[in-house]
Amino acid sequence: MRRTVRAAVAGAAASLLIAGCSGQSLEGNDDKSSATGGQTTLKVAFWGDMGLDALKAKYEKEHPNVKIVLNTGEFNAQHEDLQKKLVAGSGAPDISAVDEGFIVQFRNQGDKFVNLLDKGGADFQSKYLDWKWKASMSADGKQIGLGTDVGGLAMCYRSDLFEKAGLPKDRDAVSKLWPSWDKFIEVGKQYTKATGKKFVDSGTNMFNPVLAQQPVGFYNDQEQLVMDGGPKVAFDVSMKTIDAGISANLVSFQANWNTGFKKDQFAALACPAWMLGHIQETAPDQKGKWDIAAIPGGGGNWGGSWWTIPSQGKNIDAAADFVKWMVQPEQQIEVFKTVGNLPSQPALYKDPAVLDYKKEFMSNAPTGQIFAATAENLKPQYLGKKNGPTRVAVENVIRRVQQGGLKSDAAWAEAVKQAEKVAKTGKS
Amino acid sequence: MSLTELRPAARQPAPPPPPGQAKHWLYRFDTKTIPYIFISPFFILFAIFGVFPLIFNGIVALRNWRLDDPTLTGWAGFANFSRLLSDEDFWNALGNTFGIFILSTVPQLLIALIIANLLNRKLRGNTYWRIGILLPYLTPVVASTLVFAIFFARDNGLANWFLSLVGFGQEAPLDWRAQKWSAWIAIAAMVNWKWIGYNALLYLSAMQAIPRDVYEAAAVDGASPWRQLWKITVPMIQPVVVFTVILSTIGGLQLFNEPMMFDENPQSADGGSAHQFQTIAQLIYKVGWKDLDLGYAAAMSWALFLIILIVAGINTLLTKRIGGDR
Repeated sequence: MRRTVRAAVAGAAASLLIAGCSGQSLEGNDDKSSATGGQTTLKVAFWGDMGLDALKAKYEKEHPNVKIVLNTGEFNAQHEDLQKKLVAGSGAPDISAVDEGFIVQFRNQGDKFVNLLDKGGADFQSKYLDWKWKASMSADGKQIGLGTDVGGLAMCYRSDLFEKAGLPKDRDAVSKLWPSWDKFIEVGKQYTKATGKKFVDSGTNMFNPVLAQQPVGFYNDQEQLVMDGGPKVAFDVSMKTIDAGISANLVSFQANWNTGFKKDQFAALACPAWMLGHIQETAPDQKGKWDIAAIPGGGGNWGGSWWTIPSQGKNIDAAADFVKWMVQPEQQIEVFKTVGNLPSQPALYKDPAVLDYKKEFMSNAPTGQIFAATAENLKPQYLGKKNGPTRVAVENVIRRVQQGGLKSDAAWAEAVKQAEKVAKTGKS
Repeated sequence: MSLTELRPAARQPAPPPPPGQAKHWLYRFDTKTIPYIFISPFFILFAIFGVFPLIFNGIVALRNWRLDDPTLTGWAGFANFSRLLSDEDFWNALGNTFGIFILSTVPQLLIALIIANLLNRKLRGNTYWRIGILLPYLTPVVASTLVFAIFFARDNGLANWFLSLVGFGQEAPLDWRAQKWSAWIAIAAMVNWKWIGYNALLYLSAMQAIPRDVYEAAAVDGASPWRQLWKITVPMIQPVVVFTVILSTIGGLQLFNEPMMFDENPQSADGGSAHQFQTIAQLIYKVGWKDLDLGYAAAMSWALFLIILIVAGINTLLTKRIGGDR
């Protein structure tokens, strides 16, 4: 019986914990009173820091009858939560951010979202990068989201550590060091030899940017898994990196990775625009020690999101107004300045506020110019419905090689096997 | 006999007057129904939170139910169960669960027994020790597991620092999560740490019911303390031993928190890059809420339920033989 008590206590503790985590998401739409007294409450779900704190204060001041509740969470968890709430038919936030890795999955359920073309969204089409606009369109022509940021792709590096290793420090000279990924690995070997430290954080963070540069990713636009194309190229680069002994073999976005930042465990990191905010948050004392160079292989995109409005919401019109306000140039520029997220409207790339902006934290690098150049010339990659889980499966194989459980020459066959397994599930 | 006859009849309480129809009904209601109403909250709650989920889960296990593909629905028969048999992830998880279970339960109960035996002697600061060993049990499992996850970190981890003191891992630190054996040991250490004190207290309370003179007689006969423990203490607290074994079996086979938070990427619920320490409970969670395949997850839950029943049964039989036959 004591076990029952202890189970009950554990259960209560767990439910408290769950309530603590999701308390905000529970109170959103279930709360029918969200429109009482002329007050409209809008629940906004996203991950990380999308620079909304300042926007929220500003919008609430301009619209005293609107209250905005921000709910930030873990990247995958937020998408999974949205999927569950869509199926359940209630409980979804009024506004939800959706990343490019999940946009195909959600646009296939276009009827569960507000068609923004009905809410005056059509005016925005000409403002967006063409591929960004199309990526969130459902097959029957509904627009489920308005783009907020694009990733772009560059290479962040620690100029202070580069200097100590006898490498150039200046961003243009550094860019010239690595026209290709092979050259990049060579530079890494030099660095490791000179300092005894590792050069990059992990094999997976070599795999992802290289894959992002390929014309075709895991899936082609017929939703067929094509491992022999882009994934093979990216996988080979990551294997070479691990074999060269220049990878610190950390797991991205986890506690040890964050420690790795602080302990100088790596000196270069492929970074989309949104990564800047993460570096700044993780290692605030490294201000001025980071700089941004071009990515080997030129260009590419990694990540970027849309604002979507699930149609189950009670305050669809108010939500649409807020989304349309958020994607206005003024707000987009403000977000760019606070967290670094690059807008997806090309007109802004010419705006002096973006063009001349220098990120103090990144040694005054002109982030607007750097990332805009990579985003504008982009040929977007089709990311299949199962892109997310497939990526996780292949990353796991790379991690096994890093941990020494798998030889790098046997790893590709294993990666194909694991990816096929993911692609197969659910089709039965 | 005569005494009873002497008792005056008038002092006997008068039988209650025959109740009227309404009163009669109330009376019957009071004696026959009210007790059931009083104990009903437990059964109602149990029906809602115990029986219903169990049955519902059984029904779901026989259906296709995918959250990511709502069109795929309908009866699946035993397809989910037959899929289990050929699912290597499931068998891998089963192996991990049993591996961690044995590594945690056996040392846990043995050490608990020895600690209880030590605490059963006359010690200075008795209460202090007894509360002290219960402290790990009071720690929230999430908090302690987070600390352990850092303790067993590859770089800058305390466990590797200790190993380096005795000369291991100088050139390449041990990656605890990379191999099955190291991951299992790390997770078993967390479980042991948490439950040893709890089990020791249970044993201790049972030991205190054993009469002192039994030990005195044994000591006179020249039995060593170790021999006393195994020949007197264990047989005499055998019901509690059976109890703890069953509880540890249930708990051990449902292990979830520790492997979940031990992973470097807890979000994925993968239990390591090659599922080195993915337990069944974790796999059920992953299949249900990550792959969004609720029917298959329900089938796994039922399989786990049956496995626990069988293992708990076997363990009970084995434990009952300790001392019971002697």
